[in-house]
Amino acid sequence: MGEGAALIEIRDLVRTFGGVRALDGVSIAVAAGERRAVIGPNGAGKTTLINVITGEIPPTAGVVRIAGEDVTMLRPWQRARKGLARMYQRNELFPPLAARDNVALALAVKAGPYRPLERVPSTQPRAADALLERVGLAGREGIPARELSHGERRQLELAVALAQAPRVLLLDEPTAGMSPAETARITELIASLDRGLTMLIVEHDMDVVFRLADRIAVLHEGRVIADGPAADVRGDVRVNEVYLGKAVATA
Amino acid sequence: MTRALRFGLVAIAVAALITFPYWSAGWESSRFATTVLRDVLVFAIFALSLDLLIGRAGMPSLGHAAFFGAGAYAAGIASQRLGTDQLPITMGAAILVATALALIIGALVVRSEGIFFLMLTLALAQIVFAIAFQWTSVTGGSNGLSGVGRPVIGGLDLTAADRMYVLVAVVFIAVALLLSRIVGSPYGRALVGVRENERRMRALGYDTTRLRLSAFVLAGAIAGVAGALSAYSLRFVSAQDVGIATSVRGFVMVLIGGAGSLFGPVLGAAVVMYIERVLSSAIPVAETVLGLVFVAFVLLARQGIVGVGLAAWARVRR
Repeated sequence: MGEGAALIEIRDLVRTFGGVRALDGVSIAVAAGERRAVIGPNGAGKTTLINVITGEIPPTAGVVRIAGEDVTMLRPWQRARKGLARMYQRNELFPPLAARDNVALALAVKAGPYRPLERVPSTQPRAADALLERVGLAGREGIPARELSHGERRQLELAVALAQAPRVLLLDEPTAGMSPAETARITELIASLDRGLTMLIVEHDMDVVFRLADRIAVLHEGRVIADGPAADVRGDVRVNEVYLGKAVATA
Repeated sequence: MTRALRFGLVAIAVAALITFPYWSAGWESSRFATTVLRDVLVFAIFALSLDLLIGRAGMPSLGHAAFFGAGAYAAGIASQRLGTDQLPITMGAAILVATALALIIGALVVRSEGIFFLMLTLALAQIVFAIAFQWTSVTGGSNGLSGVGRPVIGGLDLTAADRMYVLVAVVFIAVALLLSRIVGSPYGRALVGVRENERRMRALGYDTTRLRLSAFVLAGAIAGVAGALSAYSLRFVSAQDVGIATSVRGFVMVLIGGAGSLFGPVLGAAVVMYIERVLSSAIPVAETVLGLVFVAFVLLARQGIVGVGLAAWARVRR
């Protein structure tokens, strides 16, 4: 599997909720610079997988490694410090704060928050504005997050994650709840990000998946039933049966 | 308004506040006014410290009197047992004890939120109250601790009422400046982030538990300072200083004045103390008035006096 090169590696991950095995022995390795999609029907365990990787949900069994380091016992904030950033499926922003200040909080974490007597660096607003421009929110810097449209909040969600200067970006349904036009825009935005940035993308929209992913893992009932280059997975008969459906199979 | 002009106005206001007993000396009620203003400022410090929790970090504590009382007892007991009224020693004892207590209580409560946080802080403060009330040999129990000495700094005796007032006013200014600095710092911003979305803050790499605990301890330490000043001022520490009435009073001050603004808690302290100390001698139902005012603000103006004022100002300017 080439573990040495994997930036994110999960091994034999199990997570049960009551009697339900949401993750049932999942192993996935994502190499540095790779863009990996994880697809699967609703309830396949995709969001659980992201939450276990970030540490928001502890696994019942198994190991999570970042750049070879076992982080299974680390808390979410410690994993974030190791270079993990995430775009939530349902926006997790700071509603009353201006878009700029949402991004600024992500920028400020590097220098550390325990500076009660220091002033906020004067370069911070400009750095935040540059990121907002990058995601297409130029001119919206001073608007509180709660007053942005849903599509704009998704863009802000991405800007906040990028502000962490992550090594790995976890995207949990980046196009959730978006119109086709908004979906196309954010897909191109993500596609245009630095090729060196490793991504793990959970997504329903297959056009988005095939546009963004180098490799695809297919999750079904908590197990990986296929894992390989995007083109191969597309042709995989079993994948078509459980997930992609006839439309793609005949395409 | 230019920076220089604003700085000048603030400087004049600060100077006027600190020298109040001297320029008001000609008034008939100068002594009474000085006493009331002193007590307003003591509680303004208390309310400011509580607002760091309620207004910034989003931690509505109903047990903040525990630290006020701990500071008051520590200053009073240090003064009596150590036989010294040196301010650095008695105030140092107050800060030390309040900080230690805030660390202990904070460690138990910071992981809970909302109504659970409220009830836990209330319950733990009641335990502190029970200890203060029953440990008679140390705290004086229900009799309280009387004969607390006014502080001295080196050879400077602050016993006289005007000097005691100046000490309180100077400490108040120092605390207000400190908190205004903290609120605008990366740390203050992070506390607001924790209030608005703790989950996102964790995902960003902030140790939110430590942020909440540090805010709790910082607020507790400042409340301890207010408690010590109360003990010096009144020369007395009562078990009520640790009690729920004091916690609620601070809470009411913050909410009436306006949480999350530095001016709000100070204004709230003034309003509450005015109703309690001045209005209560004029009309017999002042406490009821206070209750009604509080209910009115909770129902009609959640942002407090400052919030109402800002909204009105915005409407005028439009």
